[in-house]
Amino acid sequence: MARIRFQSVTKRYANGATAVAGLDLDIADQEFLVLLGPSGCGKSTTLNMIAGLEEISEGVLLFDDQIVNNVPAHKRDVAMVFQSYALYPHMTVFENIAFGLRMRRVGEADLRMRVMQAADKLEITHLLERRPSQLSGGQRQRVALGRAMVREPAVFLMDEPLSNLDASLRISMRAQIRHLHTQMRSTFVYVTHDQAEALTLADRIVVMKDGTIQQIGTPDEIYESPTNVFVASFLGSPTINLLEGALERENGAACFKRGTLTIPLPALQGGARNIVLGLRPEDVGTPGDGPQLHGVVDTAMPSGADQFLGVLVDDAMLFLRVGKDVRVRAGEAISFGLNPERLHVFDRETGRSLRGAA
Amino acid sequence: MAIRAVSHDERSAFGLLAGLVAVLMAVTAFPILYSLWISLFAVNLRRPLRMPFVGLDNYIAVLSSPAFWESAGRTALFSAMAVAAVLVIATLVAVLLDQEFPGRRVLSACLLIPWAIPSVANGLMWKWIYDANYGALNGLLLQLGFINSAMIWLGDANRTLPLIANAFIWKEVPLAAILLLVTLKSIPSDLYAAAAVDGAPAFRRFVAITLPALRPGFLLVALYEAMMAIRHFDLFFLLTEGGPGGASDVVAWRIYVETFRNLSFGTGAAMSYILALATLLMSYALIRSMAEKL
Ligand SMILES: Nc1ncnc2c1ncn2[C@@H]1O[C@H](COP(=O)(O)OP(=O)(O)OP(=O)(O)O)[C@@H](O)[C@H]1O
Ligand SMILES: [Mg+2]
Repeated sequence: MARIRFQSVTKRYANGATAVAGLDLDIADQEFLVLLGPSGCGKSTTLNMIAGLEEISEGVLLFDDQIVNNVPAHKRDVAMVFQSYALYPHMTVFENIAFGLRMRRVGEADLRMRVMQAADKLEITHLLERRPSQLSGGQRQRVALGRAMVREPAVFLMDEPLSNLDASLRISMRAQIRHLHTQMRSTFVYVTHDQAEALTLADRIVVMKDGTIQQIGTPDEIYESPTNVFVASFLGSPTINLLEGALERENGAACFKRGTLTIPLPALQGGARNIVLGLRPEDVGTPGDGPQLHGVVDTAMPSGADQFLGVLVDDAMLFLRVGKDVRVRAGEAISFGLNPERLHVFDRETGRSLRGAA
Repeated sequence: MAIRAVSHDERSAFGLLAGLVAVLMAVTAFPILYSLWISLFAVNLRRPLRMPFVGLDNYIAVLSSPAFWESAGRTALFSAMAVAAVLVIATLVAVLLDQEFPGRRVLSACLLIPWAIPSVANGLMWKWIYDANYGALNGLLLQLGFINSAMIWLGDANRTLPLIANAFIWKEVPLAAILLLVTLKSIPSDLYAAAAVDGAPAFRRFVAITLPALRPGFLLVALYEAMMAIRHFDLFFLLTEGGPGGASDVVAWRIYVETFRNLSFGTGAAMSYILALATLLMSYALIRSMAEKL
């Protein structure tokens, strides 16, 4: 049982670098929270503060209603899976998994039972007598998970646990981790810079950049209504198309203008200004009554079920995802229908979404 | 053409190396083989022309002499004390220097001073420190009030070996500490973090992670220091000359006495070979166990 709260937490390293600045975050008990962001944005630092591995420079960290700023790591009820796995090289797999239980003076019979159960779940029973150096990457990863699992901790931390695995293993491990969360009833905090991982795993995602939170929300909220250009372009693959242009009013209705391009943006408040229009690759359809986009196909790349088109619209190259059935060749003209509700509009100066304000 | 050119190069390379090889043979291989040779003869400098071949008699004489075995016991005791102390102290020093604190670099540099001092200078320094009349040790202990009158430190048969071992340890700790420090630095910090999160307080982390990681370092240091201690001569020569009353009469000292004071080159050489063989066997055993553990 643990609710974790950061209250204006700042972390400054000895060399003066500020890794996390004024962090406010409320993680609910038994939530699966994912910290997402580019390299160096302070994800690991945030996780390490929860674990008690990094001191907090300013602010307060609470577990439930207890301030834990000065509680050392070994006294927090926290388990962690490290990116490097950090398996103890001199111990067998069994002893690796059992170590945390031994430190907590769990009786030998109980300990053996819990290790065997965890090993069984992770399908590593046949590896228990091996040393970490005799395991493959995926096996090591499962041992690291097992070591955290047997502890049945209140808080379960994972720092990019899947980043060293190959693609197919990564996807099957995602399902296992999600399953683990439903079984364990612990609070999960999971660090990744892989947006697909975040979108599949999270109850809520925290998008970070340069030590500050950009947006907190469910995967849908983050994907559908990004609060700024950074969040919009960090999620989604291929990335969102961004078109710089101007917001103008024609007969009282707002529209986006760029060169020969005019796209009406109903329901948008506010006066004229420079904006950035965001269009997700999949948010185009067959031409209908609504606004349309006309361009020339530059490249067509089949990708399994879909195909990606590079389309030159005006002077801008857009990447769009369309079905296999759309048969086009490079150089051909093409038209798409747009749903204005699914267009993202950001202020060009601040990068903030103009939708959220409305 | 090409083949000729290569063989020409090789020939000149051999030519260049030949001089070096000859010098090496002269200064190392020749003495080694020559001493093996004379260990098989009864050499007596007072009758240099009469040098009868005695086979393994010298070896038998040495190995059947109770005095030799007493010396061997002292060598073993001295080496055990020295190696154990070097291991413990070097570990403490290495762990200390692995911490972040102001002045760590200066301290690391100072640590190397004893190691840089030549062995004889080290011996003379400790001779003065232990000196009964002017020694620094007496001075310090008198001023601190631990003793009431000056002690003749090296004159006490029970203290001699530990005191010599102390001088040996002082010189040997730096290298051992640096070796262990390198091993410590190679331990990934994630392991400590993982153990902390697993609930291990600092001391348990040391036992669970640091000590096992240091194991190869321990074996290496033990091997090196044992070889140094078993064959050590300088301090025995400078501080006590085997005294008092034979209390520091170790094998290395006995070899010197036998060879250069008794001028009995045959038995001296035989003793050297016995010591070398013992060192070799011990090293082999240690290296074997090291290879198994790694
Ligand atoms: N021990 C340290 N001393 C000084 N600066 C540090 C230290 N550890 C991290 N930093 C800095 O703090 C910032 C955040 O680091 P952090 O490790 O939290 O990033 P991250 O989001 O986990 O990145 P990655 O995805 O690459 O793991 C970075 O700019 C990093 O350079
Ligand atoms: Mg990180």
